[in-house]
Amino acid sequence: MKQKIVFRRLQDIPPIAISTATMVWNKTGTWRYLKPKYVTKTPPCNEACPAGNDIEGFMVLTREGRLREAYEKIREENPFPGVCGRVCFHPCESSCNRKEFDEALSIQAIERYIADSQFNAKSERRHIKPKRKEKVAIIGSGPSGLTCGYHLARMGYGATVFESHSSPGGILRIGIPEYRLPRDILDLEISDIKSWGVEIKTNTQVGKDVPFEDINVFNAIFMATGAQQTRRLNIEGEHLEGVLSGLEFLRRIHMGEKISLGERMVVIGGGNVAVDASRSAWRLGARQVQMVCLESREEMPAFPDEISETEAEGIEILPSAMPLRITGDEGKVKKVDFVRAKLGEPKPDGSLNPIPIPGTEFSSEADLVITAIGEIPDLSYVPQEVSIKKGLIQVDEMGLAHIKGYFAGGDTINPYHTVAGAIGSGKRSALAIHEYLQGGWSREKFRMIQVGEKGAISLKKYFHPSEGEANSPAVSFKDINADYFEHRSRISIPPLSIEERRGGFKEVRLGLEKEMVLEEAGRCFNCGVCNGCDNCWVYCPDFAVKREKDHYEIDYDYCKGCGICFEECPRSAILLEEEGR
Amino acid sequence: MKTVIEGSHAVSYGVMLSRVQVISAYPITPQTHIVEKLSELCASGEFQAKFLKVESEHSAMASCIGASAVGARAFTATSSQGIALMHELLHWASGARLPIVMVNVNRALAPPWNIWSDQTDSLSQRDTGWLQFYCESSQEALDTVIQAFKISEKVLLPCMVMLDAFYLSHTFEPVDIPDQERVDQFLPRYELKLKLDPKDPKCFGGLASPDVFPEMRYQMQQSMEKAKSVIPEVDGEYERIFGRGYGLIEAYRCDDAEMVLITSGTVSSTGREVVDQYRDGGKAIGLLKIRSFRPFPSEEVRRNLKGIPKVAVIDRNLSCGMGGIFAEELKSVLCNEEDRPTVFSYVVGLGGRDITQEKISDVIEYTLEQDRPREDILWPDLKR
Repeated sequence: MKQKIVFRRLQDIPPIAISTATMVWNKTGTWRYLKPKYVTKTPPCNEACPAGNDIEGFMVLTREGRLREAYEKIREENPFPGVCGRVCFHPCESSCNRKEFDEALSIQAIERYIADSQFNAKSERRHIKPKRKEKVAIIGSGPSGLTCGYHLARMGYGATVFESHSSPGGILRIGIPEYRLPRDILDLEISDIKSWGVEIKTNTQVGKDVPFEDINVFNAIFMATGAQQTRRLNIEGEHLEGVLSGLEFLRRIHMGEKISLGERMVVIGGGNVAVDASRSAWRLGARQVQMVCLESREEMPAFPDEISETEAEGIEILPSAMPLRITGDEGKVKKVDFVRAKLGEPKPDGSLNPIPIPGTEFSSEADLVITAIGEIPDLSYVPQEVSIKKGLIQVDEMGLAHIKGYFAGGDTINPYHTVAGAIGSGKRSALAIHEYLQGGWSREKFRMIQVGEKGAISLKKYFHPSEGEANSPAVSFKDINADYFEHRSRISIPPLSIEERRGGFKEVRLGLEKEMVLEEAGRCFNCGVCNGCDNCWVYCPDFAVKREKDHYEIDYDYCKGCGICFEECPRSAILLEEEGR
Repeated sequence: MKTVIEGSHAVSYGVMLSRVQVISAYPITPQTHIVEKLSELCASGEFQAKFLKVESEHSAMASCIGASAVGARAFTATSSQGIALMHELLHWASGARLPIVMVNVNRALAPPWNIWSDQTDSLSQRDTGWLQFYCESSQEALDTVIQAFKISEKVLLPCMVMLDAFYLSHTFEPVDIPDQERVDQFLPRYELKLKLDPKDPKCFGGLASPDVFPEMRYQMQQSMEKAKSVIPEVDGEYERIFGRGYGLIEAYRCDDAEMVLITSGTVSSTGREVVDQYRDGGKAIGLLKIRSFRPFPSEEVRRNLKGIPKVAVIDRNLSCGMGGIFAEELKSVLCNEEDRPTVFSYVVGLGGRDITQEKISDVIEYTLEQDRPREDILWPDLKR
């Protein structure tokens, strides 16, 4: 209670201004018109990850050396950290706020290290039996199909994956070369998915080896057959011997089939498949590899890192050229005629619109021509009820293709072919199937589990809604109090020397040391997520911030709403709102 | 044994002998040699004090306030623009009753830039509640620093010790540097009764309502009054141990004087020479050196000037719009006396212009010639 202190005589008054009683009675919180509040906001990396990984979360664990927990955190959302740690196009890094300060965090390399370290440490094999009676058929064992199966199995469903090839993995196995994704890593992650109870039937093509009607007995069907048809060039000579599609070329290499490379090889296309085909051929000893594409160097759709590695390996890239015809001799390919071209406005259907430059024709001699100008899904097996537009299965506003128990994902619904996108789509579909089977999916539920505004969703938020906060826009660099961070450059990932790459498929990007990984994880700003740095507690002039065991609390009896905690929070994990009284 | 040292270094040794615990300072000519020497003594380990390099005089005083608030003996030195920048915190130090000691080397304030001797910098801080002592020699500066800590700690008010720029700060003189043991005996460790202590948390410098504020200011004035007796007490004790004393004021050959020169700082030495010459020539001239400006030794001044017909105040300072500051103070303590001297106010030597024996003779001659000053302010060394 308030005590009135009255000094009646001069000698009662202290010589200096010093408190003589407590001021606890004075609840200065009543002065407040702004109210600080601890919040968890969306880190931009998490928002950008199509697979919906909690990147910020696993950085905290990694920094503390808790690699097993970091691994489990990733696998709550994504069964493929070893794969993504190698082949992902890492949009997380492109959106990392740290890039505005010094350099983006090396997230992909950290993810890879976490996965690799746990492969070696791992001993358990689960072999879980489905707890629920519903069964789901999954067509295609690529990243989307396997991710869907993995999450369904974790939710207790029986999941059977149908794969037309002799081994599972889809594009990861037949498309992506080993120098980017060693097969032992892929095998480890697939066997881990199987250990959750996912059944994979290989050499079983739906619509051929097994009729679609036969799988209609499943309670839900997920179509994730990817995009495995190469677009046709529609030019003369495309059927000559020695003209192969990029995916077919890669498939043959990966399945151990013999290919006659000849002396000179021309690869037509500027995407990742073209790059993979060129670099694989170079490794197999092709004397001269030339990549020719319609796009300019800057417009090439392949990942920038991959393009620069291609050039480093001595593969010639010839941009802005359009193939006119392939000519042969006795039915066998001889040369490709090109003309220089620049790209005009895209055509109404969105396809490229090259404008040839007259008088710039040239020819390239070739013993082998690879065409890789984009891949499209083969949806010939898909039931009539499913709506297909522009070669893709149609999705609803939640990004779901769902009609009467038929679901679709990965490259069958998405024109941007990325592994992370396929994983995200598989995860989303698993959740949609679960909700369908339990009869409860709603837009509101979907909104609650979104991570930012780019379409990623979080299973952690789905299964543990109390732990997370409602979705928020991603934290931007201007929200970060950069005064609390020191400039430190990003770790660089050592590449294999060019000499060692030739003649084999050794992994190009080498691994990192543990100390470097822990230190790199320590560069994370932890955008929008409290990491217990104590700044608010230290700076609060009213001692209104209370430090509890694993969080802070604000004593609103005394918080005047000065906003210092809000200003001094390095990572924008405090909100300052107008007081609602 | 005496050592020939620079006036600035005499201060530095005084600080070291006082076992100061925290020094916080920012360099400024002509003070820099004081803290430069102290930083060297600290760096070599000879002097076990915490030396804080700060980014401004404002911060220097702020950190002295912090150090003093936890009970540490704190020191800083400054000059001119530096003390002006400290102004706000000078009030804080005295209001918080912190016994900080600061040396100010008197230098003119800019613009125009001028690094030479002029007392206007410290006299501008007249009302900040600090004790102010003006020194005449390097020895007096060293002795006054040691005395200042003892006085400040007794009255709980901070203390400024003034040296004239260059005339004192940069001049080498023989100085007796006392033994540490005897200084320790004179100036033991002190315990601040009310201090910042995490074991007994209290709020310092908080709000004081009109209900208590006048009393708190009255207490400060009482402490200043008390200082008038503490200063001679401490000075007397110092004299018994070290053989040197200075008093609140020093009256030199004032007996039966026709007129008395009023001086402060190094001009006193020049004035003493001139007084001797006049006395030798049969003219009864005296000199009153004012050492303590705050508290102003009203009673001593009145007593010593009783019956003296005229005084000539030499002010190396100017309160622009009024005049020499010592003269104004003197007039104010004399105005209610029935038998009071006529006060001649001379503003002389501003910005380091030499105050020579001839100039002082001019002052004496004019004062003797005139019944009363023809102007409120007299400017004997002005080019006209």
